[in-house]
Amino acid sequence: MGGRSVLSRLYGDPIEVWVRDGRPAQFVWRDRLYGIRQVQDHWVVAREWWKTSDTDPGERRFWRVEAGASTGVGTYELRFDTASSGWLLLRAWD
Amino acid sequence: MGPFVHLHVASAYSLRYGTAFPPALVARAAAHGMDALALTDRDGLYGVIKHIRACHAEGVAPVAGVDLVLRAHGGHEGSARGGRGSGRSTAAGSRGHRAGEIAGAEEIWDGRAGEVWGRRAEEIRRDAERPEDERRVVVLARADGWGALCRLVTAAHHAGERGAPYVTREMLAEHASGHSGDARLVVLLGPRSDVGRAAAGHRDDEARALLAAWRAAVPDVVVEVTDQYGYRDANVAARMLGLADWAGVPAVLTNAVRHLDAADHQVGNVLDAARRLAPLHARHLEQSSQAYFKSGEEMGRVADRVCGGDRARTARLLAETRRVAERCALDPVEIVPLLSDPPGALHLPEIGGDPVPMLRSRCEEGLRRRGLERSKEAGERLAAELDIIERKRLSGYFVAVAGITDMIRGMGVRCAIRGSGAGSLVNYLAGIGEVNPLEHGLLMERFLSEGRHGLPDIDVDVESARRLDCYRAILDRYGEARVACVSMMETYRARSAIRDVGSAMGLPPHEIDAIAKAFPHIRAKQIRAALTDLPELRDSGLNDRSLETVFRLAEKLDGLPRHIALHPCGVLVGNAALRDRTPVERSMLDFPMSQFDKDDVEEAGLLKLDVLGVRMQSAMAHALDEVERVDGLRIDLDGGVPRDDTATYDMICSGRTIGCFQIESPGQRELVAKLEPRTMHDLIVDISLFRPGPVNSDMVTPYLEARHGFRRPSYAHEELRGPLRETHGVVVFHEQVLKVIDVMTGCGLSEAEKARRALDTPEGREAVHDWFVPLAGERGFDPGTVEKAWKVLDAFGAFGFCKAHAAAFALPTYQSAWLKRHHAAAFFAGVLTHEPGMYPGRVILDEARRCGVEILALDVNRSGRDWRIERTGDGAGDGAGPEATGSQAGPAAGEAAGEDGGKAGEPLTLRVRPGDLEPAGEDGRGPRRENGGKAGEKDGGTDGGLDGDAGETEEIRETGEIRETGEFGRGYGLRVPFSAVRGASEAEIDRMVAGQPYTSVADFWERARPSRPVAERIVEVGGLDAMYGLHPGGPRWRPGRLTRRDLIAQVGALDRSSAAGVAAKGDAVAVQLPMGFTERVAPGELPEMTEAEVVEAELAVLGMDVSRHVIGFHDELLDAIGVVRAKDLLRQRNGAEILVAGVKVATQTPAVRSGQRVIFLTLDDSTGPIDLTFFESVQAHTAATVFGSWLLVAKGVVRRTGARAVSLRALHCWDLVDLDELWRAPAPRGGIDAVRALLDEKPEPGGGVGGRRIEYGNGYRLSPYSDIGPTPGVRDAAAFLAHPGEPQRRLWHASSGSSGATRARRR
Repeated sequence: MGGRSVLSRLYGDPIEVWVRDGRPAQFVWRDRLYGIRQVQDHWVVAREWWKTSDTDPGERRFWRVEAGASTGVGTYELRFDTASSGWLLLRAWD
Repeated sequence: MGPFVHLHVASAYSLRYGTAFPPALVARAAAHGMDALALTDRDGLYGVIKHIRACHAEGVAPVAGVDLVLRAHGGHEGSARGGRGSGRSTAAGSRGHRAGEIAGAEEIWDGRAGEVWGRRAEEIRRDAERPEDERRVVVLARADGWGALCRLVTAAHHAGERGAPYVTREMLAEHASGHSGDARLVVLLGPRSDVGRAAAGHRDDEARALLAAWRAAVPDVVVEVTDQYGYRDANVAARMLGLADWAGVPAVLTNAVRHLDAADHQVGNVLDAARRLAPLHARHLEQSSQAYFKSGEEMGRVADRVCGGDRARTARLLAETRRVAERCALDPVEIVPLLSDPPGALHLPEIGGDPVPMLRSRCEEGLRRRGLERSKEAGERLAAELDIIERKRLSGYFVAVAGITDMIRGMGVRCAIRGSGAGSLVNYLAGIGEVNPLEHGLLMERFLSEGRHGLPDIDVDVESARRLDCYRAILDRYGEARVACVSMMETYRARSAIRDVGSAMGLPPHEIDAIAKAFPHIRAKQIRAALTDLPELRDSGLNDRSLETVFRLAEKLDGLPRHIALHPCGVLVGNAALRDRTPVERSMLDFPMSQFDKDDVEEAGLLKLDVLGVRMQSAMAHALDEVERVDGLRIDLDGGVPRDDTATYDMICSGRTIGCFQIESPGQRELVAKLEPRTMHDLIVDISLFRPGPVNSDMVTPYLEARHGFRRPSYAHEELRGPLRETHGVVVFHEQVLKVIDVMTGCGLSEAEKARRALDTPEGREAVHDWFVPLAGERGFDPGTVEKAWKVLDAFGAFGFCKAHAAAFALPTYQSAWLKRHHAAAFFAGVLTHEPGMYPGRVILDEARRCGVEILALDVNRSGRDWRIERTGDGAGDGAGPEATGSQAGPAAGEAAGEDGGKAGEPLTLRVRPGDLEPAGEDGRGPRRENGGKAGEKDGGTDGGLDGDAGETEEIRETGEIRETGEFGRGYGLRVPFSAVRGASEAEIDRMVAGQPYTSVADFWERARPSRPVAERIVEVGGLDAMYGLHPGGPRWRPGRLTRRDLIAQVGALDRSSAAGVAAKGDAVAVQLPMGFTERVAPGELPEMTEAEVVEAELAVLGMDVSRHVIGFHDELLDAIGVVRAKDLLRQRNGAEILVAGVKVATQTPAVRSGQRVIFLTLDDSTGPIDLTFFESVQAHTAATVFGSWLLVAKGVVRRTGARAVSLRALHCWDLVDLDELWRAPAPRGGIDAVRALLDEKPEPGGGVGGRRIEYGNGYRLSPYSDIGPTPGVRDAAAFLAHPGEPQRRLWHASSGSSGATRARRR
């Protein structure tokens, strides 16, 4: 798996993401703009809807990307929740 | 390059897997601009014909394939699994690593998603049998590969166990190419294939070796890559792509589609759980949220991702996908000939010769045999029919069917034509049916006509008990290669959906059962609406939140196919190429069964014959056998019985039709009493009128008024008098609709039949209107007449009934009534044995009693396997007491006669002569029975009525007497059979019958070897009473007398001693008990069973009250509160408010005119049936009681509906058992005053039945909870056997529109 460091840090911060051609292109995290250079991995997990209330809880789309900011390049895991339409930065190898 | 094509698509016909129906998938493909679409259902081609038809309609090229389990050669699954042990651990290791990683992060990002993975790692290590590890391949038919695909699917089902087909690479090699080695099938090796699994496991060498083996075996192999954004999907896809490139094998992209839309994956999850019988939990589910029908654009992104952004590779992948689609595009008409007009090639049976002259000569001979050779009408009709048959090249079909009906009759099986086929003279002349269409004015056009799309369908009814024998004979004659049964898809409805979801949600089985049964037979998507609409469910406690999810999910399964089953009657008779036209699997009973349903079969140009098992035919056959056995009289019911018998019609007119075919329901009893049929034609009209359509369009009243002369028949035009005269101006039959259209437009009957079919829909009616009005105007009819004629067509056109159907029904209706009237006991023996009607056995038994037939208790020395009749030597009404009968028929008959006396008002005690109390010796039996038979023969002559003049005079003498009492069954008894004993197995019954006679309980125990519970039950219901001279229920049991309880104790002792014997010697047969022990039974301390206990035992063991009517136990209370008995109803004044009581016989919720859900309840109080109507306004306080109780008291208003017809409009009802309890309770809570107070209470006004009425174009409205399907004949015997602890289950008839017991209250 491509990360520059074996150890990752967990965050879970809400972030803002720009999407182009169905995939994330840029995001802002902690007031810094990151440009996505490469999608390393992408997978989708459906929520266990039967444990929740009536509505469709949707699915979670994970993107592991190599992204760079002015400070350097790192690997980041982003998560998009289809129900809330919100992005989180889950963790980072930087 | 053209648009993307989905090559791997599962529809709902992938049972408990797919969620979308073929037409929806095809429509979506068309919407996405796709020009071709494959359907590759799991395990079969169940949906392919529907797919091809939809494709044809949408202009999409159809591709057909199948998704099959792959196994290693020659081995069972175990060896295949063994071969990949190392691979699995690798995969598990890597997944496990990943899982741990993510699980660590659980807290921050919602444990639920993490749980999916956290559990999975553990599961993979533990569970070697994961269904996800199953290997599958997808196989597509190339353009000329349809036959090969059918044969492959057939072979896969043949190889596997039922319901678990599989293929091996070798099987594919065998089917994938034609004789010259040209490829017929394309094999897609996807991520679930052996190659895919090896690639996923990083076992590259193995993957390469497997791929090479596939290429050597099968000429057209491609690698299938899929990426559903699951973890590692893209990785596996990339590896497989690399593998394909390395080997030079084309690769295609699919999405392994399971759903139409992403949101449908929830249904998929429920199906996964239902299929695996596992709770809804991530570990049992397939991730399928991305397995939806993606657009070409979305698939482009997937391709891009799989190819890692390599544009050229992406283009190549998509191009290969299209190339496969192109070489697999099928010609729709070749597979579904009926798509073109005239149809493409049909696949008729070979009959060894030119069928045209064969059919002609058979018909010529038929003209002579039926005495019609001089009839000009017959000659012309025959010529016209043969002309159409020959032009449609169907002669071979008729010859084949005639051969089959000959064969069936040759086997001694009763066989009758049913349905529109009765309208064809060819069928009559060729000997296929016994209904002469000319006699009843039946038309062939309803069956077969120039303009009729589709193939004719000949339906024959055979004895239900011999149906499978008929199938076997057909199979033997034509061979398995040419014959297959038709299948049908059972789909999810409310009850089945609740069951499957309930177990997916982990509810306890008994709770699931109770919840499911609380619902009527409604659609799954009506579940939650029913909970609020129906009063009995509103108060049931099912409406609580904890079940909300179960119901929500169950609704999602609505209409999805659940399992495949043998169609009740369809048999495909094809030629040697049948197996190239349809895939065949084994049915539960091991019959070859086509994967196509009846519509598909017809569309596929295959001819079928419907051989329907009809219980009434079996019942009548049984009755005829009994008459012959006991009276030595062989009756030819089809040819030798007059069809205008006055006594029979008298019985019908008086509404005494319980047990008779088609006319026994409460509504029909009312209708026949009003209509007063006197001829076969009247019966035909009666049957046609008793349909939801005619009843709701109010065709009945005008017909009855005109028939009885209250109103002059009116005709829109003088020219319509011809077609409508037979029904006094009312349109009753389809045939009349055709004639009206033809008279008014001159279009001919074929064209008229087309127009009639169009009347079914509002759009169709509009189109027919626009065609009909100007045409009729051109013919010179004035606008007023045209408008009137049109009104008639508009109102009744869609609801009329095919007269040929009704005529085919009317014959067995009359025959059954004739048998009931003239051979009542034998008739009831047939009805009780084969249960043809809507009523449970105890109602039939009660009707038999009312007809004067004696009910003889089970007797191990006299009972047979099935219900049999015995002469009781009691001629019509000579008041024979037990003294008179005892010497002839033995103690049992005396007992029954005693019961009979009880009805006349004496106390219900059993009178027996002291001499009968001694155990009967073996020698006494045989002669006695013979003696009884002889004595009876002399008396019984009164019932003959068969052989010409003599019979007729006898009849006149007899009827005067019988008209008074209605006891036309006197002189015979019905003997309760061994098969009525709950839990008695076939083998036990065989032994019990074979071992007769028995001398003692020990003798019976030893030689008949019943199980202990069965032996105990036999004693409980008096099977040994005659042998030991027991008379339970009598008032004076004295200590020292032997009782049934003593015999039960003896059975226990015998069981224990034989168990000990077995333990000692290890050989059950060799066990010998000491003589003194076995032959003598010492009286014990236990008192004999009371009358109530006897009846309770009978209800529990036999499901019917044999010795006396249960209502008798409540007489005192019922008299105290002034209940009116059924026999006195006719004396009640119209509008009177009265109380009635009885045992529930039936509940029905048929479609009625007002659009309400009306409950019809029939009670039986031993003096006759009582019919009550519950309108919605009273259901809030009555529905739960009506559906949930067995013994009822009801208050209602008398409604005189005819000279001999009374029904009650119900106001309120109570459970009699509750009232009884209240009555017996001490005052002030209980006592008679408390009961009266309760009966006087005014019910609180409550909500009625909700739900939106279904509204039809002509103003006809229908409750969503009314039954619109056919109700009679569907018996709950299977359910009864499954729940032996609840005998009431078959004690009454419940319609499918109402629930059974509603005691499903959850706490």
